[in-house]
Amino acid sequence: MSVHPVVIDEPGKKVLLMGNEAIARGAVEAGAAVATAYPGTPSSEIGNTLSRVSDAAGLYFEWSVNEKIAFEVAYGASLCGQRSLVAMKHVGLNVALDVLNPVSLRGVNGGLVFVSTDDPSQHSSRTEQDNRWLAKQNCIPVLEPSSPQEAKDFTRYAFELSERVKLPVMIRTVTRLSHMRSDVDLGPIERLGRTPEFDWEGFSYRVAGFEKLFRRHGERHEKLDRVQAEFEGADFNQLKLDGSEKVGIIGVGFAFTYVLDAIRKLGVESEVAYMKLATPHPLPTEKIARMLDGVEILLVVEEVDPFVEMHVKSLAKTIASSATILGRETGDLPREGELSPSILDSALGGLLGISVDRVDRSGVEEKVGELLFDRMLTLCSGCPHRASIHALKKAVRNVKGDLMSVVVNGDIGCYGLAHAPPMSFEDTYFCMGASIGVSQGMERVGVDTIAWIGDGTFFHSGIPSLLNAVYNGLPLKIVVADNGTVAMTGFQPTPQSGKTATGKPAKKVMIEDIARTLGVDSVEVVDPYDLEAVQCAFERMLEAEGVAMVISRRACSMEAVRAMRPDKPVPYVVDAELCTGCRICLSQFGCPALAWNEESGKAWVDSAICTGCGVCAQVCPFGAIRLEGS
Amino acid sequence: MGVFRLVIAGVGGQGTLLASRLIAQSSIDAGLPVKIGETYGMAQRGGPVMGHILIGEGAESPQIRPGEADALIGFELGEAVRRGVTYLKEGGLALVNTRKFPPLEVISGMMEYPSEDSLLSLLGEVTSDIVKFDATAIAEEAGDAIATNMVMLGAIVESGKLPFCEDVVTAVLRRSVRATYLETNLKAFTMGKTAYGDSSK
Ligand SMILES: Cc1ncc(C[n+]2csc(CCOP(=O)(O)OP(=O)(O)O)c2C)c(N)n1
Ligand code: SF4
Ligand code: SF4
Repeated sequence: MSVHPVVIDEPGKKVLLMGNEAIARGAVEAGAAVATAYPGTPSSEIGNTLSRVSDAAGLYFEWSVNEKIAFEVAYGASLCGQRSLVAMKHVGLNVALDVLNPVSLRGVNGGLVFVSTDDPSQHSSRTEQDNRWLAKQNCIPVLEPSSPQEAKDFTRYAFELSERVKLPVMIRTVTRLSHMRSDVDLGPIERLGRTPEFDWEGFSYRVAGFEKLFRRHGERHEKLDRVQAEFEGADFNQLKLDGSEKVGIIGVGFAFTYVLDAIRKLGVESEVAYMKLATPHPLPTEKIARMLDGVEILLVVEEVDPFVEMHVKSLAKTIASSATILGRETGDLPREGELSPSILDSALGGLLGISVDRVDRSGVEEKVGELLFDRMLTLCSGCPHRASIHALKKAVRNVKGDLMSVVVNGDIGCYGLAHAPPMSFEDTYFCMGASIGVSQGMERVGVDTIAWIGDGTFFHSGIPSLLNAVYNGLPLKIVVADNGTVAMTGFQPTPQSGKTATGKPAKKVMIEDIARTLGVDSVEVVDPYDLEAVQCAFERMLEAEGVAMVISRRACSMEAVRAMRPDKPVPYVVDAELCTGCRICLSQFGCPALAWNEESGKAWVDSAICTGCGVCAQVCPFGAIRLEGS
Repeated sequence: MGVFRLVIAGVGGQGTLLASRLIAQSSIDAGLPVKIGETYGMAQRGGPVMGHILIGEGAESPQIRPGEADALIGFELGEAVRRGVTYLKEGGLALVNTRKFPPLEVISGMMEYPSEDSLLSLLGEVTSDIVKFDATAIAEEAGDAIATNMVMLGAIVESGKLPFCEDVVTAVLRRSVRATYLETNLKAFTMGKTAYGDSSK
């Protein structure tokens, strides 16, 4: 195949890049030596890309076991003078937070850039947290690009800035930017060829002395002041102000694209002043003060909290500006959820007293809504998790008599869909690893539980909490849904795979070995495609004394089908003679490759998506489903 | 030239992403700036997928406003109608693969898949320019259902709506598709062109 665009060394060439790929390219152009990440939508393509190009780019890339470790690995390289990148989704920064403060307090040596991909409207997350607050809390400069081109350019610049002022720098994107694609002009690739060396004077207690290194809050503020001065004059913070406009708009990062779209649609270029703000922290206050002096109304447009808005309000007070400042806090823009061109059309039209012609399709949309399903999310055809849940329900019914006799504390991943019908066998999930932790509190007060956790999640944060259960003597019941990959975020490898992020051989670390070493009393490994075997294992687990774990192990079916290409799986078929039309395979199991034929009143298998797992054949009470050709 | 706006709708696993990328790369080769906005979340196949493609100078965000799309490529009947009624401009072109991809609601028996006529009549409230055919059947005939995206690509090229010519697209296709799949893909592409011609009469 051709060379990946992220490593093409042709400055000036125009290539199609996704926002996340552009960030990877920025790191390559800046000559980063080390990059680490933990997968999570919408950030994963940064690591996916770097894992593919690391050899060609002469850069080390790893999927670390969690975000905190990823951050620490990158920091270690920075302390030795190398440029390093670390990428994660917004909630990943919560996991890495403990290390963030010391990193910014002590400072960096080689440029250290971290990417937080925030997710307004929660397209694929359980919160829409705005990580600019965390950057502010830790005195960290933030750059917010508005396009893939800027994502690349800002990443490159962030390395230089970080290295000059000795602070980590955060690149903050939102889902729409991380996942959009557009034409990007490539820049030259720097080949730094640095000899790594620990900065003893800068960071060693032995050499520099403990006291000198320990209390540096004042120094950190001074660094931030220098960054602010630089941002003040930076041309990526563009101001368009003629002095005649009554209304001004600040568009922060990606949200600026909506501002410009609305200004063009309304044709009000000359009537509004506007600022494209790329640096929400620290703010270029002089530039903003000029805007505040020039206009009567200032609308702040940003994703997703009123972060800049609140700081601009405080600035206005300081400089005694009489401008009215509007935004998400005042409710002139929605207080939550992502923005859109249409939202900006209305907001701007409202401020200028212009009526906006809007297409209203609510009538026909409503009719479609009544007629058409929503398309609920479900596990893929042949997914091993579906088989595990099916068997777990049967086991619970057999052993406990009642499905409601246990609280099923799930966790984050594909298997988290266990709550969806027709499986409907999961009560909670919160954050990665919480299944094992929360179950302990429930068990402690006498409520029966099952912890239901994926292999990827177990490695990320399940291990310390399992240790806690063993140490504190709780007879926890744990099912590990082990599909051999971090599937939900795009099939990244786990420590069990025997392969590193870049496909090199690695030591296999098996979950059963960890569990036994930690002191779990009973550990079984079973194949969920054998429904009876896995159900029996679950029953033994439920009846066991002490901490018991079943590892339900079978490759993710999407991965398995991919691995056999160009061959295709042999599908199963429904024997119409034997099918009684009971619908059990559909209503209780619900593999999406199964379908219903209205005319014949029988089930059938869609051979285009059947992965040949054979589990439905074990579900059918009449033996009507069999391997094609058998 | 203004901005050309195209919405692509389908479900995960149908190759909509590749179709968007081939169109975007063609735009770049034709010297036109391009933006693709995509919403997709989980890895599972079968979830709804939508892409917005904006070609030409003057678009900043990768989002098309409701009622402003010049054309729609619908890879799946229900999704085509769902997105079409929201995004298509009045009289915009709707290319519809009539193949149904039943969701869990239908599989588990909670709902029925609505009839083609009832769905398309709703799309008809927005546009009369509906060109429909079973693109998946055509792709199967070409050699692989996976090439549905090439059938749809051939059809949109044949419609003449894209602001660049066929040669640009086929050149990109030859460059981007793996040799083992190229023949099937080119065949599906050509059959898609024919299908458009036959169905739009
Ligand atoms: C702190 C944090 N980091 C990353 C993510 C993104 N994420 C969602 S699910 C998941 C793991 C899924 O892997 P696994 O447990 O193996 O389950 P699978 O999807 O393979 O079934 C990750 C990393 C997250 N939700 N929270
Ligand atoms: S991607 Fe894999 S693990 Fe996730 S639902 Fe599909 S088959 Fe199951
Ligand atoms: S064999 Fe049955 S359960 Fe497995 S993928 Fe095919 S239809 Fe689904």
